[in-house]
Amino acid sequence: MINDFDFTRPRDVSEALAALAHDGCVVPVAGGTNIMVNLKRAPLDADLVVDLSGVEDLKSISVNDGRVRLGAGVSFARLLDWHPGGAIEGLMHPMCVAFAGPLIRNLATVGGNICDASAAADISPPLLALGATVELQSAAHGRRTLPLAEFFQGVRRTARRPDELLTAIEFPQPADDERWFYYKLGKRKADAISIVSIAITLRLEQGKVEQARIALGAVAPVAMRAPETENLLQGEALDETIINAAAVAAARESRPIDDFRATGAYRRSMVEALVKRGLTEIAQQNT
Amino acid sequence: MKKKALNFTVNGRAEAIDVTPRARLLDALRIDLGLTGTKEGCGTGDCGSCTVLLDGNAVNSCMVLALQAEGREITTIEGLGKPGALDPVQQAMVQCGGIQCGFCTPGMALSLKDLFNRVPEPSEEEVRVAISSNLCRCTGYTKIFDAARALHDGTLDTQAANGNDDAIGARMVRTDAVEKVTGSAIYAEDVRLPRMVYGALVRSPLPHANILSIDTSAALNHPDVRAVVTGRDIEMGYYGYELQDQRVFALEKVRYLGEPVAAVAAVTPDAAREAAALVKVEYEELPAVFDPEEAMSEDAPLVHEDPNAYHLDWESERKGNLCYRLEFGDGDVEQGFAESDQVIEGTYHTPEAHSGAIEPHSATAMSDPTGRITIWTTTQKPFAVRSYLAKALKRPISTFKVVPTHIGGGFGGKLFPVVEPYVVLLAERSGLPVQMTLSRDEEMAGAMLLRHPSKVHIKTGVMNDGSLVAHQVRMLFNTGAYGPYGPNTAALGSLMAGGPYRIPNLEITGLVTYTNNVPKGSIRCPSGPQMAFAVETHMDKVSRAVGMDGLSFRLKNAWEDGDATCTGQPLAAVSLKECLQKAADAVEWDKPSPPGAGKGLACNWWVSGTWGTQTLIETNEDATFRLISGCVDMGTGGLTSSVLQMAAAGLGVPADSIQIARGDTDTLPWDHGHGGSRMTFTIARSAYEAALDLKRQLLDEAAARLEAAPDDMVLEDGRIFVRGDPSNAIGLAEICYNRHKKHGGPMVGVSSLLDDQPPTTKAHPIGGFPAPSFCAHAVELAVDETTGEIDLKRYAAVHDVGKAVNPTGCEGQIEGGVAMGLGLAMMEELREVDGKVLNPSFADYLLISAEDMPPTQTILVEQPALEGPMGVKGVGEPPIAPPTGAIANALAAALDVDVTHLPLTPEQVSALIAGRNP
Repeated sequence: MINDFDFTRPRDVSEALAALAHDGCVVPVAGGTNIMVNLKRAPLDADLVVDLSGVEDLKSISVNDGRVRLGAGVSFARLLDWHPGGAIEGLMHPMCVAFAGPLIRNLATVGGNICDASAAADISPPLLALGATVELQSAAHGRRTLPLAEFFQGVRRTARRPDELLTAIEFPQPADDERWFYYKLGKRKADAISIVSIAITLRLEQGKVEQARIALGAVAPVAMRAPETENLLQGEALDETIINAAAVAAARESRPIDDFRATGAYRRSMVEALVKRGLTEIAQQNT
Repeated sequence: MKKKALNFTVNGRAEAIDVTPRARLLDALRIDLGLTGTKEGCGTGDCGSCTVLLDGNAVNSCMVLALQAEGREITTIEGLGKPGALDPVQQAMVQCGGIQCGFCTPGMALSLKDLFNRVPEPSEEEVRVAISSNLCRCTGYTKIFDAARALHDGTLDTQAANGNDDAIGARMVRTDAVEKVTGSAIYAEDVRLPRMVYGALVRSPLPHANILSIDTSAALNHPDVRAVVTGRDIEMGYYGYELQDQRVFALEKVRYLGEPVAAVAAVTPDAAREAAALVKVEYEELPAVFDPEEAMSEDAPLVHEDPNAYHLDWESERKGNLCYRLEFGDGDVEQGFAESDQVIEGTYHTPEAHSGAIEPHSATAMSDPTGRITIWTTTQKPFAVRSYLAKALKRPISTFKVVPTHIGGGFGGKLFPVVEPYVVLLAERSGLPVQMTLSRDEEMAGAMLLRHPSKVHIKTGVMNDGSLVAHQVRMLFNTGAYGPYGPNTAALGSLMAGGPYRIPNLEITGLVTYTNNVPKGSIRCPSGPQMAFAVETHMDKVSRAVGMDGLSFRLKNAWEDGDATCTGQPLAAVSLKECLQKAADAVEWDKPSPPGAGKGLACNWWVSGTWGTQTLIETNEDATFRLISGCVDMGTGGLTSSVLQMAAAGLGVPADSIQIARGDTDTLPWDHGHGGSRMTFTIARSAYEAALDLKRQLLDEAAARLEAAPDDMVLEDGRIFVRGDPSNAIGLAEICYNRHKKHGGPMVGVSSLLDDQPPTTKAHPIGGFPAPSFCAHAVELAVDETTGEIDLKRYAAVHDVGKAVNPTGCEGQIEGGVAMGLGLAMMEELREVDGKVLNPSFADYLLISAEDMPPTQTILVEQPALEGPMGVKGVGEPPIAPPTGAIANALAAALDVDVTHLPLTPEQVSALIAGRNP
């Protein structure tokens, strides 16, 4: 017989943590837009589903002491309506516009998109480029934080333990002169799964790269930073030579696969082309 | 798991129900509360037809567990507005023609409602974004954009004040629009019967294998199972279209991955799927063949042991995996090539594509103690469902009564029974009503729903002045494991292979091969987009070779009155040059595009479908009327607008006094069904004839009563009087009432329209068609040369419809066709590898979204067909053909490349750029 599951709807984080500490297979659901797809195709392997959509504590956005904190339950529609300006909005706004469509944006949450850990998750490159960390809580072990890049461990695998709840994402408030670039390449203007997505933040100090973060989506088993490319740029002036070298390096660092959405070769060539386009635009930006 | 209590507010009313934890909000609304206006198109959040407002925000109700709605407020389409008190959003969609099949309509209306709640005067861009999650396969979104604009620019009030103008040529609002926009139209999956159970199929996991054994015992022992049936339990016959090579279940071997092997009925859909997995089938895998060229080699694995054993209506060589072969021509191509200044060759490929209706196949069957079986189903051909079932199950046709429901999009995917045989068999075995609905995954990888992939080689001889001399075409269509529609596709394709051009020497070969791929169907304009891509792309290549632009080259070679088609059908009312010129003008053809941008043009011709029909118009005793046709409307609205307009014009009464009879195969006159661009050309013409017949009887009756000559009688405003003497009148109602009383029945106008086959001079299985229609499309696009993305700047579609009985309906067909054609040109591709479909979902098989639809100018040309009475020509199919050629030609112009493959995804375009001569 079909393995059915129990359901609970906690009202706050502590109730949610208690529910997650339950024995057996416990599956948290927030916007539901990933789990419901799986549920349509096969019975859900769960003993208990914990519905996080009623936990209001998870839905706030705040800025304190130069740290930006996004509750894991913030929806993409809410994120789209948030106008912090600068690099945050510069990355987040086009990402949200390109994230699925308005119906899904009204349900799907930032935390859900991260925990699904798809290589093509749209939220990942902007957050990686902003230097985000994730906050996890459990009833047994309290709170811990780790860099987003370490949270992703493999294809659809994360560092979240079964009893842990992803409660928030934090990143430092970007400097006023932070430059940025975002691009998502899909097969359709709306509601398309990413073939390649790219987010860059970069700061110049007296014409030299002081810090660069280059994040790539859908070109490796998990969303990735491009550390070799970032190192190559460090301390350099953004001229055509270094931009071309960085573009080649990023393509080399990427590890795309062939699938029915695109070939690995095309994805790799797009990493090169879009890193080049991004750095060129950044070089021309007035801050 | 036992049910849990759910308390929520639905359409302003507190509801308390019990649901299982796994139930979706969609299930709670549709099944527990009976609010079936919310539709399920995919169940995976990709189509938007299940949109509801959750605390005021539009969401997919398939993406929410029912229990997540605890304490929240839901608005479904039933809560938006009622007939007579529609919400302005609904009124605008009705008024502006934003509704066709109606399946996406409730969701579309709620997404628009959400937008207008937030933004009272949205920009066009905001409208596009707001409905970008709501896929519509019918309208091309353009009329929905119009509706959104009308909501705040005041034009809606003006239109509404004018009432429903039913004159020929007026934009009459289709009479089923309100039913659809309020969610009250009943579609196949909305049918609910007492004690109904659910069916599921056991499908082959292999593309080619012998069936060694089938063990159904575990499934039969499942407590929720009510019936299991396999091909070994029943008598099966072969059925199909021109070619009859299919059976209901695979018996000795399976020939494609997904082929039905057994069917199961159980008390819930989940239990049925679970039990289907318990049917044990032992297979012996066989070598398989997937490439159509390889399939024709001597040593290829045989898909069918003896293709000649199957009935085929037409003559053809059949051997090995060759399913059908056709050859015909004119003149001598070899001599033509020798005399030509240049000979240009090219090979063109189109992929497997899906019909893409948002409504999946669903049918419900119930058998009665006498053995008669009633089937409620979503079908374009209710009468063909009977005859296919009769052949497949070896029963008399009269065994079956088919009740057509509203159709949530057909596009040729609902011409053939897909689930009907299984619900019939399961209903008989279980003694219970059985419903079966395909999942979106099954639907996308389903037999008879897919367009034939094509490989077309063309060799053309041309003089340097641009005149075409010789043209040789070899078309190869991969029909998959069964080919009911393979021969027809090749035969239609051969008519299109020379394009609408004068070419003295012609040689056309059509080949259809069996492979172990999913069987292909007969999808809207079968072969049209494939051939328009090949021929029109090739013609631009030829025109470039002789240094001419695409417009001048086409104008030089285009058919005119007095020319003949490739089968020798004489042509009249040819408007091709007018269409070409208007399309070119609409994109300022002579004005060069900036670098990286380009313009393209493509034209086409197509058929107006006939096959004859019979229409009846009967009086009611109060002088309203019943229009009785056996043709169902697959969603275009031809039946509920232009047919009524023609009937009203013939009878001389308002269209709103004529009701279209909704019935079934027991009560309606036999008809071929909706397809082949025949609704207005055939059914509306027939309705007009029936109306004239009834009018003549009414006038005769009045003349007898008034003691005047019938020829002197005038029918006006519900009264009949002697011309020039309106005071000497008799009311229509009086005539009708007395007629019913005296004769015990109605006065009946009847028309029988024969299959109009025009004369041809060449032997060809199809030959010719009445009232050929002509069209030309033009586009301007820009290419991102880094990524290969195409940005459509503007699009123009010019169609000769003969006479636009309902311009809104004509434009709706064209705009929807443009959207579908653009999808085929740019993104639609079903990827089948080793017989397995890799992208069976709307997440990965992409239809054009509202954000992708370019600004589109639709231009109607009215060059009346000689087939009278209004000169109408078909418009349902042709709009989807030219976009493939127009886009390819614009891209070739922008990048200076030869386009040979569809779809033109960013990656494909990027490869063209990389391969470009430096």
